[in-house]
Amino acid sequence: MTERFAEATGTSLVGGTEEHAARSLLALFLPVLAAGAALALVPIWISDSRVLMAVAILGLALASYAIGFNLIFGSTGQLFLCVGALAGIGGYGAAIFADTVGLPIVVSVLLATLASSLTGGLLSWVAVRRSLGVIFTGIVTLIFALSFQNLVLGLGDLTGGESGFLIESGSESFISQRVPAYYLMLGLGLVFLLVHGLLRRSHIGWAFRALRDDEVAAELSGVDVTRYRVYAALVGSAMLGMTGALYGLAQGRVSPTTYGFAEVDVTVLVMLAFGGIGSLFGPILGAATFTVINEFLVDFGHLRLVPYGALIIVLFLWIPRGVIPTVGDYLKRRRRSP
Amino acid sequence: MLDVQDLAAGYQGNDVVHDISFHVDEGEAVMIIGSNGAGKTTLFRAMCGLSQLSAGVVMFDGDEVTGEPAQRLVRRGLGFVPAERHLFPRMTVQDNLSLGAYPKRPDPETSSVVFDLFPRLSERRNQHAGTLSGGEQQMLAVGRALMSRPRLLVLDEPTTGLAPKLAHEAYEALAVLRRQGLTLLVAEQQVPLAMAFTDRGYVLENGVISLEGTSKELAADPRVRSAYLGVT
Amino acid sequence: MTATAIVLDGIVLGLRFGLLAAGLTLVYGLGGVLNLAYGQMAVISAMVTLFSIDAGVPILAAVAIGLLAGGLLGLIFDLTILRPIYRRQGEARVLLSLLLTLGVAFIVDGFLTWRYPFEGLRLQIGGGPIDVLGVPMPRGSIVGAIVILVIFGLLLAFLRATSLGRAVRSVIEDEEGARLVGVDPSLMLRIILVLSGVLAAIVAMTQSMLRPVNVTAGFEITVLALIVTVVGGLGSVTGAFLAGLILGVISTVATSQIGTFLSLIILLVAAAITILIRPSGLLGVKE
Repeated sequence: MTERFAEATGTSLVGGTEEHAARSLLALFLPVLAAGAALALVPIWISDSRVLMAVAILGLALASYAIGFNLIFGSTGQLFLCVGALAGIGGYGAAIFADTVGLPIVVSVLLATLASSLTGGLLSWVAVRRSLGVIFTGIVTLIFALSFQNLVLGLGDLTGGESGFLIESGSESFISQRVPAYYLMLGLGLVFLLVHGLLRRSHIGWAFRALRDDEVAAELSGVDVTRYRVYAALVGSAMLGMTGALYGLAQGRVSPTTYGFAEVDVTVLVMLAFGGIGSLFGPILGAATFTVINEFLVDFGHLRLVPYGALIIVLFLWIPRGVIPTVGDYLKRRRRSP
Repeated sequence: MLDVQDLAAGYQGNDVVHDISFHVDEGEAVMIIGSNGAGKTTLFRAMCGLSQLSAGVVMFDGDEVTGEPAQRLVRRGLGFVPAERHLFPRMTVQDNLSLGAYPKRPDPETSSVVFDLFPRLSERRNQHAGTLSGGEQQMLAVGRALMSRPRLLVLDEPTTGLAPKLAHEAYEALAVLRRQGLTLLVAEQQVPLAMAFTDRGYVLENGVISLEGTSKELAADPRVRSAYLGVT
Repeated sequence: MTATAIVLDGIVLGLRFGLLAAGLTLVYGLGGVLNLAYGQMAVISAMVTLFSIDAGVPILAAVAIGLLAGGLLGLIFDLTILRPIYRRQGEARVLLSLLLTLGVAFIVDGFLTWRYPFEGLRLQIGGGPIDVLGVPMPRGSIVGAIVILVIFGLLLAFLRATSLGRAVRSVIEDEEGARLVGVDPSLMLRIILVLSGVLAAIVAMTQSMLRPVNVTAGFEITVLALIVTVVGGLGSVTGAFLAGLILGVISTVATSQIGTFLSLIILLVAAAITILIRPSGLLGVKE
């Protein structure tokens, strides 16, 4: 019944399966650590190449963005088409606090993260209060994303406009060196993964699933829909903001294209649609796959949009829930009928 | 004229009605009575092409029309006035009626028949349908269906929300149409009114037809009397 | 620039906004389909006209071919990418249409921008500026505005006064009611999709009378159409017209005062406010 209702309201198009929410802490920690260990080995091969390291660091950032978005959309069905903008608040915020205002780096990052988190929470609160469905939430957040991009471009004195903002803070520290930056972003991603996994196992995760699948039933069972939606948005946006801030510092530079809709949101959507929206490791699979694919396609320039577009069509027509849940279902069915 | 056999229909795999078989001959007025939730609306919507049926055969005028969408059934001469009416609220009464004749031009003769039947519609010709009262909207719904000159008119609870006087007027109008050759199939909760006006009837209970007979027989049946006529 | 000049520019811009939105809003109001590849339809039509002119076809014929291309694109959409979308209803349909048309938009944009990055359609209207209320307006502006006003007039006449037009409106008003009177909603949607393609093409043509329209304009056109549609109300052509004019003037006034980027933000915020305060827009169908 829940499945069918979700189908009817369209959320099943993008809702994930979370029946595999880890029962024991070990079942959660082990795969995360395994993934972490595997990814930790990557610099061994590529640390000499500046280009490849930059690609890898971007890939990790995108994975973290995807985890944050997964928390907001996959877990509670809020279509936030402003991932880039929320990350940008983190990135530009940290840059401005550190360079222009002169605050210490850690404080800047934390403040910027807070700003992102509150913005996301506000968007969520407004959307719930005005009972905006998935579509209108998407449109409103898209409007926010485009507004943010234009704001950055328009307030050139503050943000460096089109050419971007060269960040001086932290350019002496470890964060601007490739390998430490890589491990920092990796650590961040793993922490986020753990946070998401722990949330899913908890009663909070139960509430998330309930309100995503059937808001009315959830409300009747005593779930305060507003509160949990906003929680998810606050935490997810914090993830986005922190990642945006640290990534910006690691790059030493932020520009409108660092956090643009086409560069971030679209990529994250495709990654997650591929990996599996709502599934814990979906972001990792999606990010890894597309970082690699993107590297092979980089010479084609703008033409890369073509396979992305085709992929979106194919994914949402035939594998709407993404690879991990679909494979999971397939394995489950095979186990049932020997 | 209308022949339904073993029809089943419902939502998402669960049948609300099943094993429904009945027929309506030309010139007759037939009723289907049953309490709320018995499945009358589900049955009619499936039969008249607004929703899908899960089993069964529908024959109209000797042709099989099972599963044909409503817009095609209209062109065959089967008009349907559903319980929710589905008028066009921001279009005028005149426009609503003209659309009733789609794709043909509204025929002046039919228009005048409708306006004679429902003089109040004539007065409100240029008003938006959404501003009409409940009774007027019902008249408009029936009038719109008549504009296509149907041979069979199917009505789902035409008197819902109408004051008794208006309900009577509605049935009197339908009686006039009968005399002009229209065949009628009506689903009703207001059983006494329907009984006085129809020849035959079926009783729909819990998704199946539990009784059938002439209206007089049904009026005299003790089960019907206790369930629907409030006689203990 | 004088205030009058700014307002006049705004009106001309607003007329284009309105016609653009009319196409998008009709498709959404009638079929529950959100076409995010709308801007690409306009751009492809412009390119078709451009290539025809390059091939030696006289301008008017080239424009006609471009309009035909627009309509054809609408038909192709209906027959291909929208087929799976029709199998869903309500919100699921809007969501899927949004995603699939976005995919199409990427494919078209990716290819065209890569292949023809510098090409743009520019229809020069000969002759000097025309004086309107003391302001010298570029002739292309005036011609474009007149064309759009005429098309709007025809569109409204079609919807109000013809049998087919009323049938189209009936589907927007109440789809089941439309079926009950013998109207086939899928056929109406197909007609409207073809129409929306032609309207997008017309806007591209009229815009090219002022400045070049090139392939990269696709997404920007879609976003503008979306903003005006939201403010005007889903499914209402008159709403699109009004919202277009209002937003057009706001846009030119804002640009003259605070710059392009920030003026776009104002339009975006206007749409957001509409969604938050009055989701049905100025004249849309109230859910």
